[in-house]
Amino acid sequence: MIRTLVWIAAIVAASAIAFVLGGYATDVYRKMLIWIALALSYNFLFGTAGQVAFSHFAFAGVGAYGVVILSTKLGLPFGVAFIGAMALCALIAFIVAVPSTRLEGFYLALATLAFAQLFTVLINEGGDLTGGTGGIAGYSLPSIFGLQLRGPWYTVVLVLLVAGTLLLLNRLDKSSFGRACRAIRENPAVAAAMGINVRRTKVITFTLTSTLAGLAGVAYAYTDNVINPPVFGLENVFLLLFMIIVGGMGRPLGAVVGAILLYLAPFFLEPIVGHGYLVIFGILVVLAILYQPAGLAGLIDRSLGLLRPRGQS
Amino acid sequence: MEDFLELTVSATASGCIYALMALSYLIVLRPTSIINFAIGEWAATGAFVGVGVLTTLLWPRLDAPYPVAVAIVLVVLGLLGWAVERLTVRPLVKRGAAVTSPILALLGVLVIFRETLTLLFGADPFPSPPPLGYRRLEIGPFAGAPQQFFIIAVTLTIFAGVWYFFERTVWGRAFEAVAINRRAAALMGINLGRVTALAFAAGAAVAGMAGLLISPLTSAHYMMGLPLAIQGFTALVIGGVGRVEGALLGGLILAFAEQLGARYLPIPSGLTLAFPFSLLILFLLLRPTGLISPREVR
Repeated sequence: MIRTLVWIAAIVAASAIAFVLGGYATDVYRKMLIWIALALSYNFLFGTAGQVAFSHFAFAGVGAYGVVILSTKLGLPFGVAFIGAMALCALIAFIVAVPSTRLEGFYLALATLAFAQLFTVLINEGGDLTGGTGGIAGYSLPSIFGLQLRGPWYTVVLVLLVAGTLLLLNRLDKSSFGRACRAIRENPAVAAAMGINVRRTKVITFTLTSTLAGLAGVAYAYTDNVINPPVFGLENVFLLLFMIIVGGMGRPLGAVVGAILLYLAPFFLEPIVGHGYLVIFGILVVLAILYQPAGLAGLIDRSLGLLRPRGQS
Repeated sequence: MEDFLELTVSATASGCIYALMALSYLIVLRPTSIINFAIGEWAATGAFVGVGVLTTLLWPRLDAPYPVAVAIVLVVLGLLGWAVERLTVRPLVKRGAAVTSPILALLGVLVIFRETLTLLFGADPFPSPPPLGYRRLEIGPFAGAPQQFFIIAVTLTIFAGVWYFFERTVWGRAFEAVAINRRAAALMGINLGRVTALAFAAGAAVAGMAGLLISPLTSAHYMMGLPLAIQGFTALVIGGVGRVEGALLGGLILAFAEQLGARYLPIPSGLTLAFPFSLLILFLLLRPTGLISPREVR
């Protein structure tokens, strides 16, 4: 009961912010929410399930390009285009997952990296359909059931996207499925011996989180009403990976903290060190892996632990 | 036919570069099981160090002869590789962290190297002077830029040296022993830490040479690293991670597939960029051990 109230209060508060922000701040806030949503699903894939995949932004791109092409180029109603884009994401993710989750360790990363690069080449060369290097612009979100989601109300949709992703993945994390994922991450052979279907769990995790990335991609498509290839390239996947490592692998709290920190840091660092903030990110990642594998979430735990009497958590 | 022979020279030269990158992966991967994705940035560093020494970019009086540049690239990159191993990999191995930890830490190292290059040299490409000049060179029926022949000759020399090291020297056998069984090798008195450090230093030096060799054809550029890292890895997967010859074979196959495809297949030129990625996916899924399988343990 109290947990539910806390959730509702948090959603209301995060939504209320949308109504007081100015134009530029709204843009920053919206992008931050999308980064958090992506970091949450990526955290489940990489942190909880231990699958190092570089395809997360490619799937966001499948969602974004899918919904825009289906609704503007093919003229489908938005609801149909949305469901179609999600189905496309799930289908492609499944097709990628079935063979590539057979690969061990970092080979999965390289197969998904090849897939992500392939996707970038295709949307760059897609001619009229994908708009080539310039991407697609000049569309807008149609009204849904007569509702026009504009201005702060669209930001509320993004807040709900984050909350929905968080709720779903939290549920999953605490279920037997989440425990199976952790067991596979720690030792696939032992997990299999315990009766966990390793292949199926891996495929489901990859498909589900990649589809969630696609959902965030759809949300991104109507944030600026423009999509182009560089957004869905490798650079952003690296940043996403760094957010999880710095925030704390396998912890939703870590994903949120890491995403907020690394997304907002450039706004403060760029005036001081210019492009050098990326060097700082690199150093942060190396330091986190060396000295603080639990990330910022681990630090938060420890500082809360000092305040709380022992044995309570 | 003339066209085809010219293509052969250029494909062999690019194949040699891919092969050197694959070799750099292999030298680190064999004894440590670590896929070091930062070697692309090490190649870029090698290119910038080379350009810096060969021209007056760094210092007005530096305008060194080519062998000096080669020596400096080898030493600087070797030291960098050694330092990276000491600072990031060794503490993790000592702590017994998961295998992916050093790989992820090396991704951080990748970003540090690339952005430092950007900060030092800016985003503009720097032309690199070729050691043999620009005049077209013809050897028998083969014709091409002298740099292409130079790349082929140097690569074959490096491969011969590395092959000799692995097959004929005690140190090379120690590497192989560590690759086959770390624990047993350690019990036999092989110093694991020293092997790992040497592997990183040698891998970095080879990658730096690849960067220096390709820079006259592409210029030294801060974004040159990642494509080289991906192509090198594709070459490695095609050839197989077990043997030195595999790296050379994989590099050549990749380059020929790329260039023959771009020249003769009726598809838009942009799509030929998809070639290495498709090959990589195919090989990972169908033949993950590569074309040349590792020698059986005797």
